[in-house]
Amino acid sequence: MFIARSEYGNTFSPEGRLFQVEYSLEAIKLGSTAIGVATSEGVILGVEKRVTSTLLETSSVEKIVEIDRHIGCAMSGLQADARSMIEHARVTCQNHAFHYNEPLRVESCTQAICDLALRFGEGAEGEESIMSRPFGVALLIAGFDEDGPSLYHAEPSGTFYRYDAKAIGSGSEGAQAELQNEFHKSLTLAEAEVLVLKTLKQVMEEKLDSKNVQLASVTRERGFRIYEDEEMAGVVGRLESN
Amino acid sequence: MASMYSMPSTTPGYSFPSTHPMTASGPRQHAGFYPYTDNGGSTLGISGKDFTIMAGDTRSTSGYNINTRYEPKLFKIGGDGPKNEGATIVLSVVGFAADGHALKERLDTVAKMYKYQHGKPISVAACAQRLSHILYDKRFFPFYVHAILGGLDENGVGALYSYDPVGSYEREQCRAAGAASSLIMPFLDNQVNFKNQYIPGSGEGHALQQRMPEPLPRHEVEEIVQDAFTSAVERHIEVGDGLQMFVITSNGIEEIYKDLKKD
Repeated sequence: MFIARSEYGNTFSPEGRLFQVEYSLEAIKLGSTAIGVATSEGVILGVEKRVTSTLLETSSVEKIVEIDRHIGCAMSGLQADARSMIEHARVTCQNHAFHYNEPLRVESCTQAICDLALRFGEGAEGEESIMSRPFGVALLIAGFDEDGPSLYHAEPSGTFYRYDAKAIGSGSEGAQAELQNEFHKSLTLAEAEVLVLKTLKQVMEEKLDSKNVQLASVTRERGFRIYEDEEMAGVVGRLESN
Repeated sequence: MASMYSMPSTTPGYSFPSTHPMTASGPRQHAGFYPYTDNGGSTLGISGKDFTIMAGDTRSTSGYNINTRYEPKLFKIGGDGPKNEGATIVLSVVGFAADGHALKERLDTVAKMYKYQHGKPISVAACAQRLSHILYDKRFFPFYVHAILGGLDENGVGALYSYDPVGSYEREQCRAAGAASSLIMPFLDNQVNFKNQYIPGSGEGHALQQRMPEPLPRHEVEEIVQDAFTSAVERHIEVGDGLQMFVITSNGIEEIYKDLKKD
């Protein structure tokens, strides 16, 4: 069975499936959990950092990054693959600002990232092949544009959807169920911070503290921002007192 | 090289050279190919509180010849279908008509692609920045045109951007361009921005107070535009035949055509 599958790597199988893409979705299920929650005030992103060793410097684990002043993203899966996607998104954002003197819309940025996703394989006539396999990473893209805050989920298959709240990674099934129960449209930003941490806490193997999770927010006033250590400690404190 | 692409004359009179602009010194290398023609004509734009008026005469000339009496210099940008329906931005181009058309085509394509890619019509501010880049991309073989872009900004206020041939631009209240710009612009300075108008009895000498400019109502602006063109037709041979006006409001773009003298 497995040998038969590998014959149809980058091409359709007789049943009409792309196994490489399906496998790449499996790669994400091995990744650490990442959660995004959109409120009317802004979007909160949260990730667990897997601290595999007491000697690991936790600040070097970067799973939330800035794309532009108004867009940020959290990742789950192969970190290295995310780098080229984020680089592409950053360049697209800067190009748009240069050409049009306005920030790129969050949906357009997400579309630009997904345009990259299916560039694997042999490459068409006259086109250079860039990757032999699909990306092994999923992204939660949070941003604030003229339509307000928004959260998108982008997959290696090149599809993307907008969500009010979304969890990706190894704990995503449990976390998504929790978000389904807890999310409502009138959440404040502070409530969303606690909801993200509470949900992460439930699905994490380690005990949650201010070192092994990271939060970021995107708001109209302050744009994208990763929480400082003291701020993280504050939110974790609020979680524990709840 | 410098004399090959000389700028349009800024002095009143004819804007085309009386002789071919070949270099005076040095032997003539080959029969001079001059890539540009000045097709004359004039355009202007004035922005108001909730509208922008773009205008241009419809005459096209080459030297002392009239090519046609109706060749519009105003173009709707980014609408739907062959007639650009639903457009909210107008580009005016004056100078070399072929370059003007090429520029219009490029900007229109950009505006349409923008709508497909971002799911919303392009704003005038974004279109203005893009136009600047399109012009600068040909910095060393420029589009031989003076462009003016008009529309409404995000607050519904009239927006007008004027350009030099290589893409320097600024937002203004009014601007005249083309053959009769040196005749029309001082008139607009005085009638739109109230330059050299002082409040009577407000003081002596330097204490005299300047009359402050205020946004003009639409009917007054339409009259100013018509006066500007009827006067320009009297004094400039390249301007005449017809006056085309596009009035951009929140209701869309209204076209007005008026005859000018055909002499």
